[in-house]
Amino acid sequence: MARLANLETEYPVLDSTVRNFCASHGIFSAAFAEQNDSSERLKEGIAQVLSIIDDMHQPWLNGMELLEDAKRNKHVFPTGIQGIDLLLGDGIRVGQLTELVGPSSSGKTQVCLRTASNVARNHMVLYLDTGNSFSPQCIAYFLGKTISPSSAQAKNQFLQKVMSNISCHSVFDIFAMFDVLHQLESYLRCQDGRGCCQMRLLIVDSISSLISPVLGSSSTLGRALMTSAGYLLKKLAHQHNLAVLIINHTVGGEGGSSKPALGDSWKCIPHSRLFLSCDRGSNTYNVSILRHPSMASVKAARFVI
Amino acid sequence: MGSHAKAWLVEDESAREMLDRVLTERPFLLLPPLHRVPLRVGNVVELAGPSSSSKTHILIQAAITCILPKLWKGVSYGGLGHSAMFIDLDCRFDVLRFSELLNHRIMEAANGSSSKVGCHQKDSEAQFARMKPYNEELFALCMKRFLYIRCYDSSEFLATLKTLHYRLQKEREVHGVNVHLLLIDSIGAFHWVDRGSSSFPLEYDNRKSWHLQNVSEAAVQEIRRLLLVHPMLVMATKAVVLGNKYSTNELTWNYRKWSAVDNPYSRNITSDQQLPYREYMPAAWQSFVTHRILVRATDDDLVNGEHQNNSIYLLEWLLPPLNSLDKFTVRDTGVFILS
Repeated sequence: MARLANLETEYPVLDSTVRNFCASHGIFSAAFAEQNDSSERLKEGIAQVLSIIDDMHQPWLNGMELLEDAKRNKHVFPTGIQGIDLLLGDGIRVGQLTELVGPSSSGKTQVCLRTASNVARNHMVLYLDTGNSFSPQCIAYFLGKTISPSSAQAKNQFLQKVMSNISCHSVFDIFAMFDVLHQLESYLRCQDGRGCCQMRLLIVDSISSLISPVLGSSSTLGRALMTSAGYLLKKLAHQHNLAVLIINHTVGGEGGSSKPALGDSWKCIPHSRLFLSCDRGSNTYNVSILRHPSMASVKAARFVI
Repeated sequence: MGSHAKAWLVEDESAREMLDRVLTERPFLLLPPLHRVPLRVGNVVELAGPSSSSKTHILIQAAITCILPKLWKGVSYGGLGHSAMFIDLDCRFDVLRFSELLNHRIMEAANGSSSKVGCHQKDSEAQFARMKPYNEELFALCMKRFLYIRCYDSSEFLATLKTLHYRLQKEREVHGVNVHLLLIDSIGAFHWVDRGSSSFPLEYDNRKSWHLQNVSEAAVQEIRRLLLVHPMLVMATKAVVLGNKYSTNELTWNYRKWSAVDNPYSRNITSDQQLPYREYMPAAWQSFVTHRILVRATDDDLVNGEHQNNSIYLLEWLLPPLNSLDKFTVRDTGVFILS
């Protein structure tokens, strides 16, 4: 919250009379203004200070406006995998964080690549890779499976177009991820509404390898970083209409079962959580719901990639 | 002078009249599943529970009850007809789910009234088709009474609270409806971020540093000031981590309850015992709360037809301490009390 003196250059109505009045009431910064005055000039000054504070928070919306925004912008993207689409209710939703949890080799990266190949047909995708698991060959394979047979040149052109919609960044620690996300935020702020091909999917593979190193058992800074990362992702998802897909690992829980990593403070961040596991020696994967915004009727499914 | 003094002594209204007036202007709220204790404006209710224990759902339920009118075009909806404000600190609110629940409540009330008249199946369908434009109009009216804001950090939250008074005044002027309910989803959402940022000192000495305690005190102070001018019921959720001794097995719950009842002296001790979860909110917030509730999900499911599997939740009142456990489940039409 800025000091009133510093705001005078931007808002000339906050001249010395207003500041003296505020100082007489013990108000030194924009945060403590109160409606307690008699003159017009003071009223203007107070109104100006209030509008400055009003800009510091998100706008108030009523239910109808929220609903309109949800219907217009917050679409659902099918992942291309029937079992997962069934569980999630048609696919991953724009504006929400969907988390895939599972032990290693349980198909999490495959699901992400499949979803990326699906969404990249019409929109841009950003893939944040922490473990060099991004594979263009996989994407080409998934695309090859679904497009209709045509000339090799047309196929090639199509592949080129879709692949150019996916950008992959390698990040190896949480501060690099913050950098990339802040750059993305400023890029999207300029881009919003313009252009036909907009970014609609953000994949973080995997967020646990970025957060676990900073998350000690009793450190507050680690958890603060984790929560800030979660909120930055939520802000990007809601304000710029992105669907966010994050991957998390498992750790040993009580009684030998495995539970999602990153602890209890992370539980409140994603909107939906899916638990993936692989049947030994077969191609089928199991997926079950850990958390879903609405009461899902189907709780578990199987799929093959 | 004498007549002025005498005017002071003339009574305004009798106690009975005052009670009537207060009860109509500020009614008691009995919202399931919080129906055991009547809630009034000025109460601050804290719903604590682990993640995924339907706390947000209870808030949404309260909001829907608040925004529905009492009586509209001959159909009784049993609501309060006031506005509700929702401050989303968790940023996980799903408006599509909210509108679904509101629609279900409206249709249930409409169908309920038509079935009371005792009409035939065909008649009720025709009536339903006739009621559809009314339902949409009522839906739009109710949705406009629901005010929503998201906050991505504590400074946005404080800025919202500080400008809330003017916002409420504007609402009163524009819509002529009062705000009766203030809902805060996850009051402890920025706990770790605020704790972490207290290690970064700000530039000037005469300003307060950004401490967890300071943020909490400022928030509580703002809400208190607001309640003086705009009487509202405040409901906040809080995510907690339950200790290990709170197993999800209901038998151990009942055993704890019975052993307390058997020995009247031990009952006093158990009511003073520490809370079943670790309290992390600062003292300013803790002393502000007037009612405290704990909700948990059990492992049991209520089988409701072939496709519906609804989880059963347990609710316990911690403040005022009632020795009772309510079981409820969540359905499309709302919360359904089981026992």
